[in-house]
Amino acid sequence: MTNEKHAKPGPTRRQALMLLGAAGAVGVMSPAILGRDQAFAANAAPSGQLVLACSQEPTVFNPLMPHIEVDEGVYYAIFDTLFDFDPAGNFFPILAAEVPTVANGGISEDGLTWRIKLKEGVKWHDGTPFTAADVKFSLELTMDPDFRSFRSTGYKFMRNITVVSDTELTWEMSEAFAPMAGILASTYIIPKHAFDGVEDKNTAPFMNAPIGTGAYKWKERMAGDHIELVANPDYHMDGPYLETLIIKYVPDLNVMYTQFKSGDIDVVGLQYISPDHLAEAEGLDGKVIKVAGTGTFESFGLNMMRDQFKDPAVRKALYAALDKGSIIDALYYGVPTPTETYMPQESFYYNPDLPKHEFSIEKAKALLDEAGWVPGADGIREKDGVRLAFTNSTTAGNHLREQTQQFIQQTFLEIGVSMEIKNFPPAVMWGDYWMKSQFDSVIVGLNCLAGADPDSSDYFMSTMSPALGGAGQNTFVYQSEKVDELLAKGAKMFVPEERRKIYQEQQAVMREDLPFLPMFQYAVVKGWKDDVEGPAPNVNNRIDTWNVRDWKRV
Amino acid sequence: MTATLSTSAPRRVLLGSRALRRFVRHKLAMIGLVMVLSLTLACFFGPYLLAYDELFIDLRARFAPPGTGAHIFGTDPLGRDIAARLFHAGQISMAVGFAVMAIATTIGSVVGVVSGYYGGKVAAVLMRIVDAFLSFPSVFLLLALAAFIQPGPVMIALIISATSWMEVARIVEAEVKSLRDRDFVQAARMLGLSKSWIMFRELLPNAIGPIIVAATLTVARAILLEAYISFLGYGIQPPLPSWGNMLNGAQQYLASAPWLAIVPGVAITVAVTGFNFIGDGLRDAFDSRTAGE
Amino acid sequence: MLRYLLSRLGQSLILLLLVSCIGFMVLNLAPGGPLSQFALSPGMTQEQIDKIAAQMGLDRPLVMQYLDWLWHMVRGDWGTSYRDGQSVLAVIGSHLFATLLLMGTATTISISLGAAIGIFSAVRRGSIFDHTFTVLAMIALSIPTFWFGLVAIYIFSLNLGWLPAGNMYTVGDGSVLDYVRHLILPASVLALVDVAIWSRYMRTSTLTVISQDFVRTARAKGLTRRRVLLRHVVGNSLVPMVTLAGLQLPMVLGGALVTETVFTWPGMGRLFLDSLGYSDYPVVMGLLMTSALLVLVGNLAADMIVALIDPRIRLN
Repeated sequence: MTNEKHAKPGPTRRQALMLLGAAGAVGVMSPAILGRDQAFAANAAPSGQLVLACSQEPTVFNPLMPHIEVDEGVYYAIFDTLFDFDPAGNFFPILAAEVPTVANGGISEDGLTWRIKLKEGVKWHDGTPFTAADVKFSLELTMDPDFRSFRSTGYKFMRNITVVSDTELTWEMSEAFAPMAGILASTYIIPKHAFDGVEDKNTAPFMNAPIGTGAYKWKERMAGDHIELVANPDYHMDGPYLETLIIKYVPDLNVMYTQFKSGDIDVVGLQYISPDHLAEAEGLDGKVIKVAGTGTFESFGLNMMRDQFKDPAVRKALYAALDKGSIIDALYYGVPTPTETYMPQESFYYNPDLPKHEFSIEKAKALLDEAGWVPGADGIREKDGVRLAFTNSTTAGNHLREQTQQFIQQTFLEIGVSMEIKNFPPAVMWGDYWMKSQFDSVIVGLNCLAGADPDSSDYFMSTMSPALGGAGQNTFVYQSEKVDELLAKGAKMFVPEERRKIYQEQQAVMREDLPFLPMFQYAVVKGWKDDVEGPAPNVNNRIDTWNVRDWKRV
Repeated sequence: MTATLSTSAPRRVLLGSRALRRFVRHKLAMIGLVMVLSLTLACFFGPYLLAYDELFIDLRARFAPPGTGAHIFGTDPLGRDIAARLFHAGQISMAVGFAVMAIATTIGSVVGVVSGYYGGKVAAVLMRIVDAFLSFPSVFLLLALAAFIQPGPVMIALIISATSWMEVARIVEAEVKSLRDRDFVQAARMLGLSKSWIMFRELLPNAIGPIIVAATLTVARAILLEAYISFLGYGIQPPLPSWGNMLNGAQQYLASAPWLAIVPGVAITVAVTGFNFIGDGLRDAFDSRTAGE
Repeated sequence: MLRYLLSRLGQSLILLLLVSCIGFMVLNLAPGGPLSQFALSPGMTQEQIDKIAAQMGLDRPLVMQYLDWLWHMVRGDWGTSYRDGQSVLAVIGSHLFATLLLMGTATTISISLGAAIGIFSAVRRGSIFDHTFTVLAMIALSIPTFWFGLVAIYIFSLNLGWLPAGNMYTVGDGSVLDYVRHLILPASVLALVDVAIWSRYMRTSTLTVISQDFVRTARAKGLTRRRVLLRHVVGNSLVPMVTLAGLQLPMVLGGALVTETVFTWPGMGRLFLDSLGYSDYPVVMGLLMTSALLVLVGNLAADMIVALIDPRIRLN
């Protein structure tokens, strides 16, 4: 460990000063966030009820255990993180008294020692005081070998987590790891005392009656139907403004939309309004409709181990034959934005200068002709015994994707490429079939980032392919020395402007290599009643309740 | 050989002709026959009369309501002609139906005739298995199976067959049990004919009436079950159309494009009703007790 | 009687064992698994998935997993849901009410309506009424339940706006009237097929009873047609219906599954589909066992009741 530490140059003082986007690099703090610290007492009495609907059911209430997106919708209401990202990608403190930076002494100049100061007087929902011991417990639990932890990336570098006082703790990092802050921003702190005397931390009673420090307290859950939360009058920040928050499970998007239209639902949550309803929804009286980008990008992913995809000309030809415009405008009703990269366009690290995709059957054919892929007797091109025929897989039952596949199938056939559709139910599709790269090609929506941090090593580092024995999720089996080098460098750097160069270059290299054919950055159609105030898109968080503490009815 | 023919065959012929006459006079059965035949003809010859093929995608023409240009039943979300898809889907759905009929009837007949002929312990074990399958929550099993097996038409047919053979087995067992001590069977034994000959050449043909009835109803049931599984998304996968998977996803467009749901649903109902009518007519025709009606 | 009961119970146990074994193998031998749903979470790695699998015991040989499950099952521990960590029994229990409400309402409608149509058809055998309902019943049996549900939603919710398109109640309302409004469409759709079946069987059963001696005697004694019908015929024709009710159980369960899907009803059918989707094996197994158990008990109870109320039927 020490050897490694010495081998890698630590960030310079100037770089470290910029750690966590502290200075003006990323923009101005949004007004809603300013003045939050003085909060505490003078909250107006919370009033009213709000029904937030989701088309998936939240079921996991220990935020450190494996969970899905919709579960986080509940976490943001019940729990707090130390700090979080605002829509501009800046940090704002929540449980932490201030976001740790080198300037305020929170982080050592080499990035290896961290010191977190916590707010005073924060209480858990059951009245127990919140202390640094709870933070230590939460961070350590993620690495407990007996605990079913959601992730270990980042945490595994943490050493000697020490409680200095009730409101202060420190730890060391075994190596400088820039994405750590982003990971902490999605680490919800859970109460140590809820696990006192619990033998198996995987089945603690806490799981079905969570206690947090968040704006809302757990009241009850009707499985398969809804979760009821009530205002936490002792909340340590501004808010909450609602007396009751109901998170309702409506398994069908049409029913959800119908109920939103009829007024039974106040805010349409996860999976949102389906794109085909956008035009109609925009004409509804008394509703606010917003199209908002998300951190997930849709791509036509290629398994780079397959002979068909080893020739760059083939990948370029396929990309040229991908009629993105029609897919986005017709099938997705123009809701998502075309993209050339995995990086969200809202991100500071987005590269806007990537070559623009042009749909051209002629160009695709020319590329293949030039590279020596000639049509065989059945019209399918081949070269050196390799036929341009492959399967494409995605989640069975995702209608828009299935329509997209069938549409692509037709255009690919025009350039002499045969694509067979082979879809699986989600449990099969995203099991070993995906993780161990058993597919030829896929249509997949991925979010490769940790919050607003641009690191994507787990997805694109060549050592991260499970199919080759790696530990990550480089399922396209993308192998690029250049990208490896850039990713390794970027993870050790702390100045946003300098990191930006690294990651913009990475995007350029990958746009040229095309291990996946980028299609679009997802956008979702959000909707709420016009007497609801507060919901705000935030591309750096996975779900829209990130600021539920601010939601109110007017 | 001749001895057996003289006892059983003539009765069968007699039964056949009388049953046929009764069947032809059965109004519902004739209506059913017309429904099934016209649907079959449409599915197999219709595609040649249409201007579009079932895979041709035209995004500009998506969601065209029925009667738009040459799209008699309208178009789907990809602008494909629904009529062409419906007919093509019909071929697949009906093929599944008939395949299930063949498999289920064969398994059921074998199990039924063996257990009816041997009786005793063999029958006890076999019929308990039948009971087991009957009391198994078949829809649950179907879904559990289909969720994890790559679902193609062949697989779907096999899965449905596994939950559809029991009725035939019961019918055949009852029939064979009542026949096994009759003269012609005794005679066949005395002639030294093998057991399998007696079972499948002498006994089974006598149960042909109820078997045909059950087989007809099995087709109806299989078409329905395929629709259920495919509707829930676990059945035959697109782009291959089936009546069931044409309905999968149609709920999403119920308000804006109701024809997506209505057209395949009507086709299923017509086909299944047709087979049920025919089955009803056959039952009356083979059942001497209702001959007077 | 006792011996019969015991042997039936024994058979049922073997059957349950069989169901559990087949179910478990089918679920676990299939590719994929309960951890697939986390694959697309940002930052998820193969390393982490392998670690969680090991902690959950999913890396053990299948036979061991099955025996482990069976051993707990026998002692009344149905396991823990992978999704929310609650006990499987609690999970199923919390969805039971919705399904029972839907099935109960549908069955009440179908029995009363079906019996009425059946008796009427039998008494007026050959009339236009009889013929019409014969044909209608057969058509009803041919309509896919879910499609009928879609059409009902299209007409009554989307076009006329009379009834809600789904769910069991409106959040924040939950009055009896609210429940009833939500119940009408799914219960009617689910009842449709059963009305058809019940009316057919009831017709046959009534015809058989009418032609029996005691009915003729009663008529001969000068009782009015109406009295004979109510006193003697209806009661006696209902006896075979009890068995039917038992046999119908798996069908009603299956029907409820599809109906719940179409109407987003928060019952066991939806739970089953959700659990399948998330590969929540313990819950799927629990539901398989519950439905098998329900069916077996239903059949057994039906046989018992028939034996008790009708001494003419001999149990072998």
